[in-house]
Amino acid sequence: MTIADIVREASAELPVSASSDECLKCNVCNTVCPVMRVTDLFPGPKYSGPQVQRFRLAGFQQIQGPHSINPRSPDHSVDYCSGCGWCTTVCPAGVKIAEMNNQARGRLREGKIPKLRDWGLGQTDLVGTMGVLFSPIANFAFHNRVVRAAFELVLGVHRHAPFPRFARRTYQSTWKRRMAKRPDGGTTRTRPGPDKAVVYFHGCSVNYYEPHVAEAAIWVLKRNGFETIIPEQVCCGLPLISNGLYDDARERACKNGKVLAEYAKAGYRIVGTSTSCTHTLKAEYEEMLDMRDEDTKAVSHATWDICEFLLDLHEDGRLDTNFGTLDEDLPYHAPCQLRSHGIGLPALDLFALVPGLRAKDMDHDCCGIAGTYGMKKEKYPIAMKVGEPLFQKVRDSGASVASCDSETCRWQIESATGVRTRHPVEILAEAYRAADTAKGLASNPG
Amino acid sequence: MPHADVVVIGAGLSGLVAATRLAEAGASVTLVAKGHASTHWGSGGLDVAAPVGAGTPAEGVARLAAEDHPYAYLAPDVAPSVAWLLERLEASGLPYSGTLDTPIRRVPTAIGGTRRVAIVPAAQAAALRPWDHEELLVVAGIAGFKDFWPQAIADSLGRETVWGGSDRPSHVAGVAVELSGIAARNNLNALHLARRFDDPAQRSEDIGRFAAAVRKMAGSRPGRVAVPAVFGLGQHAEAWAELRERLPLEPFEVPLVPPSIPGIRLWRVLRERIRAAGGRVQVGEAVHAIRVEGGRVTAVEMEAATRTHVIRTDAVLLATGGLAGGGLIATPSGHIVEPLLNLHVDAPEHEAWFVTEALDPAGHPLEAAGIVTDADLRPLAHDGRPAALANVLVAGALLAGQRSIRERCGDGVAVASGWRAANALDAGATRTPVGRVPSAGRTDQ
Repeated sequence: MTIADIVREASAELPVSASSDECLKCNVCNTVCPVMRVTDLFPGPKYSGPQVQRFRLAGFQQIQGPHSINPRSPDHSVDYCSGCGWCTTVCPAGVKIAEMNNQARGRLREGKIPKLRDWGLGQTDLVGTMGVLFSPIANFAFHNRVVRAAFELVLGVHRHAPFPRFARRTYQSTWKRRMAKRPDGGTTRTRPGPDKAVVYFHGCSVNYYEPHVAEAAIWVLKRNGFETIIPEQVCCGLPLISNGLYDDARERACKNGKVLAEYAKAGYRIVGTSTSCTHTLKAEYEEMLDMRDEDTKAVSHATWDICEFLLDLHEDGRLDTNFGTLDEDLPYHAPCQLRSHGIGLPALDLFALVPGLRAKDMDHDCCGIAGTYGMKKEKYPIAMKVGEPLFQKVRDSGASVASCDSETCRWQIESATGVRTRHPVEILAEAYRAADTAKGLASNPG
Repeated sequence: MPHADVVVIGAGLSGLVAATRLAEAGASVTLVAKGHASTHWGSGGLDVAAPVGAGTPAEGVARLAAEDHPYAYLAPDVAPSVAWLLERLEASGLPYSGTLDTPIRRVPTAIGGTRRVAIVPAAQAAALRPWDHEELLVVAGIAGFKDFWPQAIADSLGRETVWGGSDRPSHVAGVAVELSGIAARNNLNALHLARRFDDPAQRSEDIGRFAAAVRKMAGSRPGRVAVPAVFGLGQHAEAWAELRERLPLEPFEVPLVPPSIPGIRLWRVLRERIRAAGGRVQVGEAVHAIRVEGGRVTAVEMEAATRTHVIRTDAVLLATGGLAGGGLIATPSGHIVEPLLNLHVDAPEHEAWFVTEALDPAGHPLEAAGIVTDADLRPLAHDGRPAALANVLVAGALLAGQRSIRERCGDGVAVASGWRAANALDAGATRTPVGRVPSAGRTDQ
């Protein structure tokens, strides 16, 4: 055995389900859990994770033999885990606590008919498609107090949970129309190479609610010499994973994988504006859905969060840093999903390049929403309590605009504070526009 | 890829001390760690040296310096580094009590034993004063809190043997204080309670109940009160001042099993100091490789989703801890390795790992395992010559030759080695302008 082998043996990574053996019971995870901070309903990551994992494994072995990885939880308290991932981040022993709990949540629902609410919150693409199709009615309904009260009663979606307005059409169809108007019809024949173009994964938020984020991203990419390719795509599947609907998530993952892998293998980078979608493409297909095929791997390696991508350009000296002055305070919240990327806080590094912009890390653990967690009737009060110190800081800042990379966090912050909350790439687009205005140039965001 | 003059690996005391000193000296420093470390496990006090027979930490350091121990070369730096740290903690509102010349004394623990200390947070200091034989010790816990059982602690502390021959209170009594809403809680840890004491209104009510319970117990007798170390986190100073003012007897905090509130207070203060000075603290980013080119470390690589996150650097401080902290790894095949740079580890052979008395007063052979360095904290190879790495230093529990459980020297070694490493790195740091603004706060906890 060589020294290299020894080191490899010593640092080999354990699968999620077995990492409970590394737990020292040191309680460090409990010190950072935002949910445990505000409620007794969740007994904490240590208990729900590695502690209960032993019962899950044991119970499972009795029923199905020693080699299955199909553990069930002895109780339902794990359902109160919001999946923010802080526990995994701080564990000094490398236990994958959040991932373990997520799998356990999935198992709780296995073989059961899902709650209509959880099913609905998981199917962001279906809800989005219907919402966009009937957007005047849907926007009325989703923002009408009486209807929302009925929703809460029947579906269990809290009446005050933040909900964005549906766009008039999906971003996919907007993009197709735009491509069709081009002289070449947007055909692949004239498609620029991977050094001149990136593939954009817009995710559901852009597709159904926030086309302006896509416009900002596409403009900023173009400013830096990159054309945007938007292939057919479906929901990344994360809302399904969060709601324990693994089979549906796998189906979405396969669809995306087939389309995106072709680009990834041709050397294109896949850039996304939703930190949770990009993290799903990067890690969750393999880690949570147990997909280890070639396509999944290729997509994972090719995926970049947009701020990570822009900072990478900057580090290569290729980012256009001619930003105009934005003389304003900008409270910034780093979403939990971004932390799971392990890439630091690239948005803050980019903001530091904008003259006059005083971006400030709000330094708070979680806004509470955690995807769809805070929308649920029984979890909404918990989510609001989790986020309250952040909301207070944002209100106290006196700023008129805040920034956050993740869409559901933006909705949560905006709805709790009334402060308009924008994606970092929108702020950067504005800084470029400010430069053009200063030079007397007309900016063309199209 | 980002650049830092120095990357400190590890968020324990040695890494925090080094990063604070470097950041305050103006170096661009990034501290990365795979998770929270010893601060969240320890007592919050500074164990500098308390080998059996030493009357003060200074005596302990002198005694250990004469042995094959890191103090053999760190000894001159211990007093100035500890004084430097305590000054900063005090300035940040977390005062400590004691110096290297403070007599080492026995103070109560949360399981009703005693431990020998000299330098402690101010909130623990009252336990250090010699006991007058008239004095009563009231152990005041919180009903329903499972990490501090006042009656059991009091019963144990009432036994003479627990005090190891030193002076002790004439009588020890326990009382569990009932706080509103606690009984209904399914799970309650020290952090819940600490946050409760951060709330002024709640604190006022709770301290009132403590005062009433202690008054009832003590009457007009002189004495002191032992309380669990949960009196505030962000508002510890305010909570502690209020408790001192309203209790009829002088209180002291007793540190608990993890999560350690006094340790988390220490972590919060040092993290904030590093950030305020422009440094970065990134927890949750496990370094999995260090790039070496031509005998120099050029970058550290961290695990990230799908791709490696890289920080270029001019120097690395390895403050990754010993066997408990993961800086050393024992393999099933019987080796002890340093996984990042594969440095030479001074460790006993596999057969010697297993002894019949795990808690032998002479210590366990594995305790002293670690990296041997020269006086400048540069790692040495197996032949005793400097390892072929020009810009790597080692600090903290990773240093060979400490038997920290027996010698109670871990915090002193951490502070002195972190401080010395920072001084050496700052002197040698090349300040490369990197076009990035360090004041942008970075991911961390």
